[in-house]
Amino acid sequence: MKRILAGLAPFFLGSIASFLVTVLVKPELVFAFRLGLGMLLFLSGGLVSAAVFLAQWAHGRGYGRAFRQAQENRRSFIRRLDHELKNPLTGLRAALANLSESATPEEREKASVNARRDVERLQRLLADLRKVSDLDEIPLETLPVQVPELLEEIIEAVGGLPVYHGRSLSLLIANVPPLPPIVGDRDLLGLAFYNLIDNALKFSGPGNAVQVRAREDGRSVVVEVADGGPGIPADDLPHIFEELYRGTNARGIPGSGLGLALAARIVDLHAGRLTVTSRQGERQGTVFSMVLPAGRNP
Amino acid sequence: MSEKTTLLLADDDPAVTDSLAPFLERAGFHVLVVADGERALEKVTVLHPDLLLLDVLMPGLDGREVLRRLRGRRDWTPTILLTRVGESAERALALEEGADDYLNKPFDPHELLARIHTVLRRAHPGERSLSSAWKLACDGLTLDRRARRATLEQKTLILTPKALAVLEYLMTHPDECVSRERLLEMVWGWEYPAGTRTVDTRVAELRRALGDNPEKPRFIETLPGEGYRFAGQVRALD
Repeated sequence: MKRILAGLAPFFLGSIASFLVTVLVKPELVFAFRLGLGMLLFLSGGLVSAAVFLAQWAHGRGYGRAFRQAQENRRSFIRRLDHELKNPLTGLRAALANLSESATPEEREKASVNARRDVERLQRLLADLRKVSDLDEIPLETLPVQVPELLEEIIEAVGGLPVYHGRSLSLLIANVPPLPPIVGDRDLLGLAFYNLIDNALKFSGPGNAVQVRAREDGRSVVVEVADGGPGIPADDLPHIFEELYRGTNARGIPGSGLGLALAARIVDLHAGRLTVTSRQGERQGTVFSMVLPAGRNP
Repeated sequence: MSEKTTLLLADDDPAVTDSLAPFLERAGFHVLVVADGERALEKVTVLHPDLLLLDVLMPGLDGREVLRRLRGRRDWTPTILLTRVGESAERALALEEGADDYLNKPFDPHELLARIHTVLRRAHPGERSLSSAWKLACDGLTLDRRARRATLEQKTLILTPKALAVLEYLMTHPDECVSRERLLEMVWGWEYPAGTRTVDTRVAELRRALGDNPEKPRFIETLPGEGYRFAGQVRALD
């Protein structure tokens, strides 16, 4: 009601002003002139009112859309979370049944190994969910970070995992002239790099190489993580940075579905951009590209 | 009269106490269970347990308030705070409020057992532990925990907040092998996949600032394959 009144106010003001001008003010002026002036005031009042209504309507629509979008995001997040919880819990229930009903110690031992594995999976999911929620609260360190040095560290850590034994993982740094440092949180940036490299190794087959590249691009440092894997289906591509989203080719591959979302959020906190390009079929492959502003406070 | 070590476990969730209490009993402890803060406070005063396991989120008096009141009346019962995942602010505060150690839920019960043993070993009954002291000193090095400042031979050290927190944890747990995973949990609050390197970087920063030679450490010693240990003699200043 208030909004309608506010919208109508210019119209009323215009009408009153036009009436005053036409009828009451300065009778010595030509009537036609007074009438013209009055109509002008009347029309401009109406126009302002229309503009106010239009703005209110557009705002309401935008707000409504954002609200609906947020609700939809929340619903799909819960749906995905439900899905992520279901499998390890089913496994856990089965393992507990095996534990209490199995006759041999071997079977019981196997059941407890399985139960532990499911618990660890739930624990990893919880830990990653916590990181996602923590990222909005924890204070961000703002210190100079040498990207090449950090990338070397992270590559050593990911490449050293037993699952990736024997994989081709290389680092290319375009360092003439030397890369400028970026200002930010070294640990968080390391986590983002780690997630992208881990993701590339995980989703490209054992025969495919993964290459990490860093270069300077004007005022930014660009870090690319490229793989020659099967690529990401076009339908999945717009969603891969969403929390808990699991693409069609992610089925059966372990992970919490939060790694890329975390990386994207961290890049965001550093005022950077994370994008992806992917091609399937011939000359297949995926490139994640992180653009981080150089030497400025995020 | 049994000579068993008595633990008081305060947690409002039977999902935790129903399984944890028998586990701890099996490990050789006498375990008393209470479900809220008031009762925890009461039992500590009456029964003088050897160690208190305190959940943070409880109805009525929460775990931190219980601890604050105990320390306020100069009761130094060794305490391990059990926190629920998701409270990042808890982390920094728990150490400040004089918990001897703490453990993030969900934890491995064996990990809890290891911490209980360590805390009991370090504790001197009736005496204040380093964890509840605001100022610590060791051989020219002082740490003011409230002011978040460390000085070496009267000169303030320039340290990142994380490096300072690493120093704080090591100094409040001297002569104890602290694994990199534990430092991650205590200082970062997260598990980082590349975590061990993350910790090493901060320890290297600390050593540079302290002028500490890893080969002949005055303060921080590396235990290969295990973690770090604060090698100096730490005493409380206040």
